[in-house]
Amino acid sequence: MKFNVLLTGVGGEGVLLASAILARAANIEGYEVHGIQLHGLAQRGGSIPTYVRFGDKGGIYSPIIPRGGADLIIGLETIEAARSCYFADKKKTNFLIDTYTVVPVYANLSGVKYPSEKEVEKMIAPFAKSITIVDASRLTKEKLGSALYGNAMAFGVAIGKGLLPLKRKSLENAMAETIPRDMEKNLQAFKMGLEFRG
Amino acid sequence: MSNPDTMDVLQKAGKKVVLLGNEAVVRGALEAGMGFSASYPGTPSSEIGITLAAIADKAGFYCEWSTNEKTAFEACVGAAYCGVRALTAMKHFGMNVALDSILPVVYTGVKGGLVLVIADDPGGFSSAQSEQDVRYALRMGNLPTIEPSNAQECIEFTKLAFEISEKYETPVVLRTTTFVNHCLGSVKLGAMKKPRTQGRFEKNYERYYNIRPAIQKMHRAVLERLERIEKECAGKLNRVEGSAGGKKKVGIVAGGVCYEHVKELGLKDVKIAKIGMSYPISREFVVKFLKGLDEAIVVEELEPIIENFVKQVAKDVNLGLKVHGKDILPRVGEFSPDLIYERIAPVLGLKKKDWKEQEKLLAGIKIPPRKPVLCQGCPHRSTFYAVKKTLGENFVWAGDIGCYILGIYEPFKMQDFVISMGAGAGIAHGICKVSGQKPVVFMGDGTFFHAGMPAIANLVYNDSRPLLVIMDNGITAMTGHQPHAGMGKRAGGKDAPSIKIEEVLKGFGIKNIAIVNSFNQKQVQETVKEFAKKDELAVIISRGGCRLLAKREARRSGKDFPVFEIDQAKCTKCGECVMHFACPAILKKDNGTFMINPDLCWGCSVCGQICPARAIRAKVKTV
Ligand SMILES: Cc1ncc(C[n+]2csc(CCOP(=O)(O)OP(=O)(O)O)c2C)c(N)n1
Ligand code: SF4
Repeated sequence: MKFNVLLTGVGGEGVLLASAILARAANIEGYEVHGIQLHGLAQRGGSIPTYVRFGDKGGIYSPIIPRGGADLIIGLETIEAARSCYFADKKKTNFLIDTYTVVPVYANLSGVKYPSEKEVEKMIAPFAKSITIVDASRLTKEKLGSALYGNAMAFGVAIGKGLLPLKRKSLENAMAETIPRDMEKNLQAFKMGLEFRG
Repeated sequence: MSNPDTMDVLQKAGKKVVLLGNEAVVRGALEAGMGFSASYPGTPSSEIGITLAAIADKAGFYCEWSTNEKTAFEACVGAAYCGVRALTAMKHFGMNVALDSILPVVYTGVKGGLVLVIADDPGGFSSAQSEQDVRYALRMGNLPTIEPSNAQECIEFTKLAFEISEKYETPVVLRTTTFVNHCLGSVKLGAMKKPRTQGRFEKNYERYYNIRPAIQKMHRAVLERLERIEKECAGKLNRVEGSAGGKKKVGIVAGGVCYEHVKELGLKDVKIAKIGMSYPISREFVVKFLKGLDEAIVVEELEPIIENFVKQVAKDVNLGLKVHGKDILPRVGEFSPDLIYERIAPVLGLKKKDWKEQEKLLAGIKIPPRKPVLCQGCPHRSTFYAVKKTLGENFVWAGDIGCYILGIYEPFKMQDFVISMGAGAGIAHGICKVSGQKPVVFMGDGTFFHAGMPAIANLVYNDSRPLLVIMDNGITAMTGHQPHAGMGKRAGGKDAPSIKIEEVLKGFGIKNIAIVNSFNQKQVQETVKEFAKKDELAVIISRGGCRLLAKREARRSGKDFPVFEIDQAKCTKCGECVMHFACPAILKKDNGTFMINPDLCWGCSVCGQICPARAIRAKVKTV
């Protein structure tokens, strides 16, 4: 068993916290975990890809996911998922995308268009075994008051749809151990994700 | 995550947890009974100091953020001279700053273990400036160096570093790279040792008097010590795995994260030498490894340092042995398993993977690039905007290191050069002397205390007259918000005396000093206009708190900032707020209208001040 998750988003979205939760959940289930949280200059509004790899002991070495080797790509921002296609392969990669959008300042300045959801889906399709699109940030903002709970909802969707081979309980425990406050609302968001059909 | 009660680094022995490489270094220090730590932040090493500061009280050791890497290192030397185990962490550039003190301490040696964690950054994920390889300098300094390759080894090697340091009475370097500092890995925790935090300095003429003629004797002793370390330790930190089968017998030499990358490839019939101690490298180990091989490949990022050593040794083993390294692998940028495979496959007689199909598909992905930007509401943006609005384009913009480095990008382009902390003022001085130009120097408050003060003293002393703008956001922001000497706080949030920048400048004899509110455009613009005309050194301290911190604080306290909105009836669609102010919360929509994303606005109000049509105002809360 060896599973590669690429979790990506933009600075300020809680990407690092989300990858820490994932790593902890895998650890709870006894898997060996490797991965990386690259956070340098990019933490100020740049792209933040993180890798979480887990599996049986002795099967994983490098913190880096091989090219075309991602089993699941979670894009916490719409176009960031598309930016990760180098790591995707139609035969194995499932995509889970939150429709949260942050238009890069330089798109405004340079006139490069920010693609629509449909366009992003089309770009990703040749790399994807499946694509799940969910308005996690929007829905959690409406229901729970903050788009930040969108990450917990995305995890719920991943578990609910069987995209992530981890147990619901492990994710819940990992969240409880990692998130400093608002656990109640995060759990609610997680549940919204579990119940998501789409 | 800063609650020490729930932090994994403090969990009980025997527990299996996932740690960041940097946290694992801290755990290693706890297991070694470290009693003293002093650091200066620098990514990718920053979380070492951040974690140390968060747990120091609970774990019972001394911890500080020092004013720069040199003072941090020196503090640790003092502790180690007194027999207390000490650790300092810095990024590669930090070593440059501290090097002047590091080299002689190798001569005097230490009593308590002294470990320097020095982080290189191949690929420049966490640094502008340059892509350097500290291992050259460590050789110049005769500094024993060990390189962990994953999180578990970050624990084990930190402990080992303390042991080697104390046994041989020398500072020891734990050299890491970004992919090790920021790796996540399962680790098994060992037992922590109660830190010893007190000691005593014993005078010792023999040990500390490093002037001629003793200097030569000491130098000799350093070299002899290195030989002993090579014989007694260097081999034990390395290991050989697998065996060279196949027609052509090939061996791979790698250390650090490159070893993990190579292992990931699952190569068959290849012998692998893992180098744990990269200086001194055990000659005996390498000789033994090379015997019987037809070809060897050294896989290392950046400079061919292990490679050059292996090549020297190879000549004595077998003149026909071919050693590959930088002939097939790049000297620039970080490595990945894919890159390594691509480059070594021909030597191993393996087929390269065919990515043509994927490449074609990747070309179809058209999305805008996402470069890092100043946060919405950042005081630096407001200052940059005001300076440019007032002075236009005809000034030299002397840049420096901090979040404000991001002023290098469009639309500001107000960092004409960015060299090293404090260098903006230093270089501006030379420009003043040989050109008729007037530089505007941007310097952060953190940078002021790190290396800015000597550069400003030189402006005064040798009479240069640039306009100096201190970007005082009240914190060392870029590296993750560490306190500094001007803040009145020290590591762990404890109260400290606050050194006032304006008082220091007055003490230097500077007459033209103004303090302005970064978020008040009128005030900043008027002051810039007045001060740029001065035929004397003039300093504007643009003071405005880091908005990211302020926003976090506001969220926590429940008194959040107002959100701004654009009155579409008033907006003339001139685009000033996007094209020249470039706030990431303001969007130009496809239909040519402008809007503020309420999820992103942090209420700094500056867009409202710069909008020529006065179309932007605070939204009255509806929810
Ligand atoms: C010698 C050296 N040490 C550390 C760093 C890492 N570093 C990059 S930005 C920065 C913060 C500078 O703080 P400040 O001048 O206050 O600017 P701010 O980020 O707060 O805008 C540091 C310490 C470096 N680049 N060089
Ligand atoms: S962290 Fe603070 S200083 Fe840095 S860009 Fe954001 S608001 Fe500005």
